Amino acid sequence: MDERKTIVIDPVTRIEGHSKITLHLDDQGHVEDARFHVTQFRGFEKFCEGRPFSEMPSLMARICGICPVSHLIASAKACDALMAVRIPPTADKLRRLFGMAQVVQSHALSLFHLSSPDLLLGMDADPSKSNLFGVLEQNPSLARDGIRLRQFGQQIIERLGGKRIHPAWVVPGGVSEPLTVENRDAILESIPEALAIAVRTIEWFKGIMERFREEIATFGNFPTLFMGIVKEDGGLTFYDGKIRMVDASGKIAADGLDPARYSDYIGEKVESWSYLKSAYYKPNGFPDGIYRVGPLARLNVVDRCGTARADQELAEFHELQRTAALSSFHYHHARLIEILYCVERMGHLLEHPEILDKHVRAIARPNALEGVGAAEAPRGTLFHHYKIDDQGLIRWANLIIATGQNNLAMNRSVLQVAKHYVHGDRLTPGALNRVEAVIRAYDPCLSCSTHASGRMALQLQLLAPGGEVLDEVVSS
Amino acid sequence: MARIVMIGYGNRLRSDDGVGCAVAEKLASRLSSPQVEVIVCHQLTPELADTIRDAEIVFFIDAARQGVPGTFSCNRVSTGSRANSSHSGSPSGLLALAGRLYNAQPQALSVTLPGTCFDHGEDLSPELKDAVPRVAAYIEMLAAAILESREINLLDGQPTSSRAAEVSSEPSGC
Repeated sequence: MDERKTIVIDPVTRIEGHSKITLHLDDQGHVEDARFHVTQFRGFEKFCEGRPFSEMPSLMARICGICPVSHLIASAKACDALMAVRIPPTADKLRRLFGMAQVVQSHALSLFHLSSPDLLLGMDADPSKSNLFGVLEQNPSLARDGIRLRQFGQQIIERLGGKRIHPAWVVPGGVSEPLTVENRDAILESIPEALAIAVRTIEWFKGIMERFREEIATFGNFPTLFMGIVKEDGGLTFYDGKIRMVDASGKIAADGLDPARYSDYIGEKVESWSYLKSAYYKPNGFPDGIYRVGPLARLNVVDRCGTARADQELAEFHELQRTAALSSFHYHHARLIEILYCVERMGHLLEHPEILDKHVRAIARPNALEGVGAAEAPRGTLFHHYKIDDQGLIRWANLIIATGQNNLAMNRSVLQVAKHYVHGDRLTPGALNRVEAVIRAYDPCLSCSTHASGRMALQLQLLAPGGEVLDEVVSS
Repeated sequence: MARIVMIGYGNRLRSDDGVGCAVAEKLASRLSSPQVEVIVCHQLTPELADTIRDAEIVFFIDAARQGVPGTFSCNRVSTGSRANSSHSGSPSGLLALAGRLYNAQPQALSVTLPGTCFDHGEDLSPELKDAVPRVAAYIEMLAAAILESREINLLDGQPTSSRAAEVSSEPSGC
């Protein structure tokens, strides 16, 4: 008789979307396997078939309520490729600006709203206080900074795109409207405050890191590849460039890869227990081709950020480990450095003499039957790949999202944390929170636009091999 | 600085759930006072606490599941005990957050319109489509009274027909 037991954590709280975690115990009650299940199904790749390609950016933006701008940009870039156009230089800058505003608001959401309770109150804090109110009581200025920084990003998106969520300003060939003087000046005026918040939050974070030595050592701290788009000069970018892979030692494993040829080097595997596909680096096979994307990966693959303050912080970040920064706990730190970079870089872009130019869109009919668009979303590299027919109707689409590319690493991270913190057949609140916190470090976005309000209760079940519930804990 | 903030919210891809947005858009097209700020949004996210911090009064305009379509209710909102999260937000939760973050204590009114259909779709039911301009006119009337420092009377919790609100020349309201 199989004596193994399973602990189920369902749903996982304070992440974007719905998932559950199962921990599989051996005969002695030790964790022997862990799985991170994504339990929602979307089907965007299928139901867009037959739609005109020009609708794709707006359709694809609906994938997510937190990072619609990334889908807009990647989708519009795929459409640019279908039209075989080079977009006007000002449109290029405005898209970059738009993308970075979203990075700021999304990273702020992840750090301040979702993870700061763990970071400020500790992993063993009373779960009923691990929320924004708990942060407010302990450090009100941190909570206010989080609100302001997210608002900063949201307001830029609204000024450029017309609304905060699901803006449709990015279109095939560029953007639909030029930037006005009024909006440029208003955004510029808000940058010093955002910069000050970014700087003091990084200082705060560096000050508390020492408290999390054990978590740093056990939160996804293992060798993998890291992948991201870099500029020609090896600098940080969220919009355009070539793919670079570095290995765990920090050495470049592959460089100058064309994002449009992603299928040459990225494979995807479907597991029967999750709707989330697992991406892997083909030359290393599955699962050895495990790689990570997102803030941690980006800072591991770049040579520089390209702005003064962010580069100072990057230099410190690279000192964290003599190799690539391997622990997924460092995603938080990387996220903050990226916020700083984006705020600095947005200021530079807004000062550019071309930024108010009225020519912001190239018009063309389809000139190619296949196109790929890639960009760096807040959570990592995003690919949109479309095939159309002679009428310009979508015949096939494939999306590779950041969270899928981190899937193997997230599963392995849960296992590492569970092995370290879970003992016996019961979960302590601290162990449970750490299992969830390592997932939060990746900031997975499980298509938050399908969220169900008010269903963030936490349910733990201990199941016997036959499915009998041996123990259950429910908290809200 | 706006003295009155009007927030219409809901999912415009869920039929009648978008009625709050429709009312707010109507208000935005009718109101030009710098003392009034109209916001149309998907949900009550935490950063709206910053937006309402200096307001004297906040109108929350939303769809409701219960009630007779074509009517609306207007209720005072009390501050809640829990702050809004990134995903789920209520007017009372947003007020709580604004209070804790900024010591802000604006008055608040919740204007709700019962809907009939919350399925996928971008159109409002006929009853709600008719109600939108009337509810907007009613809120506009309340706002004018507030800006002129006149007293307003609210019959908390009582469903009110849009027509009754429309014909009321005094701000006796719902």
